[in-house]
Formats: sequence, structure tokens, C-alpha cells
Amino acid sequence: MASSLHPHSLPASFHPLPHLSRSLIPRHSNRKRSTPIVVRSVLQWNRKPELSGETPRVVVVTSGKGGVGKTTTTANIGVSLARYGFSVVAVDADAGLRNLDLLLGLESRVVYTAAEALNGDCRLDQALVRDRRWPSLELLCISRPRSKLSLAFGPKALTWVVDALRSRSSGPPDFVLIDCPAGIDAGFVTAIAPAHEAVLVTTPDITALRDADRVTGLLECDGIRDIKMIVNRVRTDLIRGEDMMSVLDVQEMLGLALLGVIPEDAEVIKSTNRGYPLVLNQPPSMAGLAFEQAAWRLAEQDSMQAVMVEEAPKKRGFFSFFGG
Amino acid sequence: MASIPTALHLPRIRSLPPLIRIRFLNAAAPPNLQLDSFSSKLVRLRSFKIRATDDSLDTGDEKNVEERAGIEVEGNGVHPQRIALSLRASINTLHAPFLRLKRSNFGTKYSLGLCIALAAIVVIVVRQLVVRSRSRERQGSVADLVRRGQLRSDRRGISKPLRYDDPFNNPLVKVGKGDSTVEMFGKVYRLAPVILTKEQQSSHQKRRSQVYQWKRPTIFLKEGDDIPPDVDPDRVRWIPANHPFATTVSDIDENLARENVYQKQGAPFRIRVEHEALQRKIEALQNRQKSNKASTDPNGARDFGSPINSKPQEQLETNPSADQHHGQGTAKPDSDEISLTDELRNF
Repeated sequence: MASSLHPHSLPASFHPLPHLSRSLIPRHSNRKRSTPIVVRSVLQWNRKPELSGETPRVVVVTSGKGGVGKTTTTANIGVSLARYGFSVVAVDADAGLRNLDLLLGLESRVVYTAAEALNGDCRLDQALVRDRRWPSLELLCISRPRSKLSLAFGPKALTWVVDALRSRSSGPPDFVLIDCPAGIDAGFVTAIAPAHEAVLVTTPDITALRDADRVTGLLECDGIRDIKMIVNRVRTDLIRGEDMMSVLDVQEMLGLALLGVIPEDAEVIKSTNRGYPLVLNQPPSMAGLAFEQAAWRLAEQDSMQAVMVEEAPKKRGFFSFFGG
Repeated sequence: MASIPTALHLPRIRSLPPLIRIRFLNAAAPPNLQLDSFSSKLVRLRSFKIRATDDSLDTGDEKNVEERAGIEVEGNGVHPQRIALSLRASINTLHAPFLRLKRSNFGTKYSLGLCIALAAIVVIVVRQLVVRSRSRERQGSVADLVRRGQLRSDRRGISKPLRYDDPFNNPLVKVGKGDSTVEMFGKVYRLAPVILTKEQQSSHQKRRSQVYQWKRPTIFLKEGDDIPPDVDPDRVRWIPANHPFATTVSDIDENLARENVYQKQGAPFRIRVEHEALQRKIEALQNRQKSNKASTDPNGARDFGSPINSKPQEQLETNPSADQHHGQGTAKPDSDEISLTDELRNF
């Protein structure tokens, strides 16, 4: 549990970034410190991420349980990666209940889907919907909401789609993000078929954790070993009152590397209804910043080395009553 | 200040402290103010009235007051000297705070303090109003944005662009000067290190590999179907009868679908095929029509080579009453031909 924290037991691969080490490594002072805590900041704003790994990076965003934020995560990480300068194709692999187009605000521009491309009604590049805000982001829906794709055909079809994207004339995309439907049914099988790595989205509650553990097991059985998790809808006030599992508790239960911790934020529902991804909000929101950080780590194949576990009361000045 | 009108002025004190003058009034009059310090003496002196009046013209310090203090006793007082002394002492104790207040420029400071308090209240009220108005502006709902004209309801997602250009320089995020704090949006968070080790990760993977035995299904069979001989039974996913896609039959040839996905240029397969089929149908219709014309009208042979713009149609458009006058003289175009021609033109 979180109480078993050992400040010095950091992973051996710990290499603080040079621009952050100055502020985060404890300074030597005359006053002796009993337990100097060396942590690596979760926030890295000073440079653009460097893409690591072989392109295209095919990442499936899955969870098992529904309603934990898979589509929100896919949309926001996709837009963040596009803002970082990477070319991204976001694939909505939910054949029956697609929603990614709504979150990206592109629902009125989806004319063709991958099913039409397979059918020969259009080419694959015609089925890709380019986002006008960030042209390096493209959306591909796998089928129309009411159309029926053969169950056995899905995994093969999505694999072909990814292969075709890899060999397209304009160059392969840097990322193919696949939004996986809930459950472990045929949609899940379809979505994970072409993936090389996975982002597991979960919330800090026992129902989501059990499903997440099962899905992780299935992914590992399928050969996907690079699995990182995003803990969504975290409330530090509930964690402080011991009414919610902390992120470290979740990590201890699942044993997965942390890609991001997304705090509960009312801006999420607002941005969803507006069809505008959270990371584009001005002013930026807490959850948007966390999504950007997660995208940063995803690009660099990095993971979190420190988490925000407690909310310390800010020292208030004398004139704070007047807004100071 | 209020004064009590009376015809008879009894013991009277002159040159009292500047703010207060006390007059001893007639014994018959009821007392307005009784001072504790000399109330016992007043009992002996029968009842008398004390009247306080403001004498703004009298200015002077305490010493002058004492020097100038004099008592006029009119009426039947018993020990006027003693009364005067005790009264003077009492008055001195009474008016000392007022003197101190006056000495410290009481009025100016009071007004200054009042102004500061009023200014503070005004600042607080204005700030609250500004905060409320801002919070009202940040509602962010679709209806609110549409009402304020920032969002067009029919153009979601491509409305006013909200983008901040530099995600790497965010003023709302400050890494603490200390070791392990981060301030985000005005709140300070403490950072705790992640302690998951590689050994723990591998032990979790081992646990899961023992718990979950799974192979990705490659074939989906409906209940009642037979398993093909070359298929691993672990890779079969049985579709329940009530599954929404259970009745879905794939009519797509897999090889063809694969070719379609990999196609990079040119018309898509189905569009091309439909177009060719349409063209063949038109040509067949025109051939049939021309053969009919050739049998009835030899002059129609010159129209070969322009299948779309056929002369009969032009004649029909230019002379709509031709049918009525000539009967079967001109061939009536087939309705299928017209529609197909239009479709072909649309291409």
C-alpha cells in the first residue's frame, strides 16, 4: 500500500533529466535532513518529446470496463501527439457504438469508414478524416453505427488497414491509436489484433481494477508485453481521506508502469459535449495537462517516476482575503 | 445637546471640562444621570440633577480646567466646599478619557479608519462581483456557448479555435523550489516516488499468465456449427444466438477486400465496377435501339458513335408534339436509357 513507501528505492533506470535535476535533487545545506526524498518531476515542459520506437507505433487503448475514459484518453492523447508534431491516425474500433468522432468534433465529416474501404466503395485515404485544427491528426472509423461487420473479419481487416497505413504514399504515420470497445468480445479481439503496445485505462475502484487485471492478462497472452496504465478520475481529496485507492495502491495491485494520472475534472464533460478535446482548452485544465504529460511519455516510451499523492494546503498570505 | 429648561438654576459649575458641563438643578427635578462615584454623597444632599452640555467654545487642558474650576452654589447646599471638591474629583475621573481622545486627534483618525473600512468593503464587493461574473462566463456548456455566440451549434468542432501555442511553457505549473512539490493551478501537490520494481512487474506477469489462459480467437462459429478440422478449438469463439452480429454473413471476398484496402490511386473497386456495368448496359441499350432504328429508319445509322446524345431525344426535346403528329415516326426514348444517361453524365 501507499504506506510502504521507500523514498530511496527508485528504479535502477532512474536518470533525472538535466533540466529538472537542478531543482529536484536535494541541495546540500548546513542543516541536516533526515530523509531527503529524491523524486523525478511528473511535469516536463521544457522540451518537445523525442519519438522512440519503430514507426508506426500501433497502440491500443483498452480497459475492459466501460465508462472509464478510453475514448477520452484516445482523443486527448491523439490531439496532444499531433500538437507535438507527430502524425497520428486515431482508429475507432468500436463497430457498433463509435464515439471518438464526437469527442473530436468530426462526426459531421465522417462519410466513409474502413468498412467502405474494404468493400471497395472508397479508397482508404478517402476514409481518413483529417482534423482541420491539427492536420497531422486523422480519424478512421471502422464502420457505420448500424452496419454489421462480420465478426471473424474484423481482426484481419484492421490488420490490413494498419499495414496499408504503413505503406501509404505519404509515409507511415508515427502513431496509430486504436480506441478499443469495452468488454473482451469480438470488438476487443479486433482492436488488439494489430497492436504492439497497449495503454490500459482504469479508475481507482475495484470493479475497474478487476477488469483491468483480466484484460492485462489477455493482452499478455496475446503477446502484447508493453502495457502501461493510465489511472483516470483520481481525486486527491478522497485519497487523503482514505475513501479512494491511491495511484500507488492501484499500481501495486496491477503491477504496471504508469503512463499518466488524470485527476477528476469537470472540464472533461464540458469538452466532450463541445466536441473539443480537453488538451485544446484555453486556459488549460488539470486533466488536460495530465493528458499532455501522458502523451509526452507515450512518445518517449517513458513512465512516471513520481505521483502526486497528497494535496498540501497552500500557505496563504495576509492579504489573501482580498485575493492576494 | 439636550437641555432641560428650568427656571431655577441651582448649584452650577462653571469652567467645567470642555466637553461636559454639569449643572445641579432643583431638588424637585428627577435625576437624568447619576454618577456612581458620588452617588452616596448625592443622597445626603438630597436629589439633584446633573445636566451635561457640550461647550465647544471651551478649550483648554486639564490643568487649566482645574485652575478655572469654580462652583457657584445657589440654593440651600449643606457643605458647598466639600461638595465642590468631590464633584471636581468625580468630574476629573469622568472627563479624562474624553480629554485623551481629543488630545490624540480623535476625529481625524476616526474618519480615516472609516474611509479604510469603506474602501475595504468596496474592494471585497467588487472582487466578489468580478469573480461571479467570471464564473458565469466559464460555464462552458454547449447551450451557453451557443447563446454567447462563441459556438455554432451546427458546426461543432470547427468553431472558434482554442489553442495555446506553447505547451512547454505553462505558467500555471511550477515545480517547487524544494525537492518534491509541484504547484498546479494554485494548489500545491507533494510528489511521492513510484516504487514498482522490475521484479514486482515480472511477478505480476507470472501471476496473470497462470490465472488467464487465453488464445486470441481466429474463427467465430455460431452455436451448432461444426469446428473445421484444421482449427485449434481454443481459438474458436462461439457466438451466442442472441448476439447482434450473429446472423451477419460476410459477403466480402477476403482477397478482394485486402486489395481494396491497399489500393492507393484510381477509382475504388466497386465504383469502377459499377461504372463499367453501367456503361455496358447503356451501350447494350443503345445498340438495341440503333438496330431498331436501322430496321425502321435508315437515316438513323448516321447517329452511331454518339451514344449519349441521341438524335431522337433531341428531336423530342425540340418538338414535343412530334409524337402526336407523326405517331411512330420518331422512336420514344426508353425511360431506363434516360435515367442511365443522366447517371452517366453525373459521373
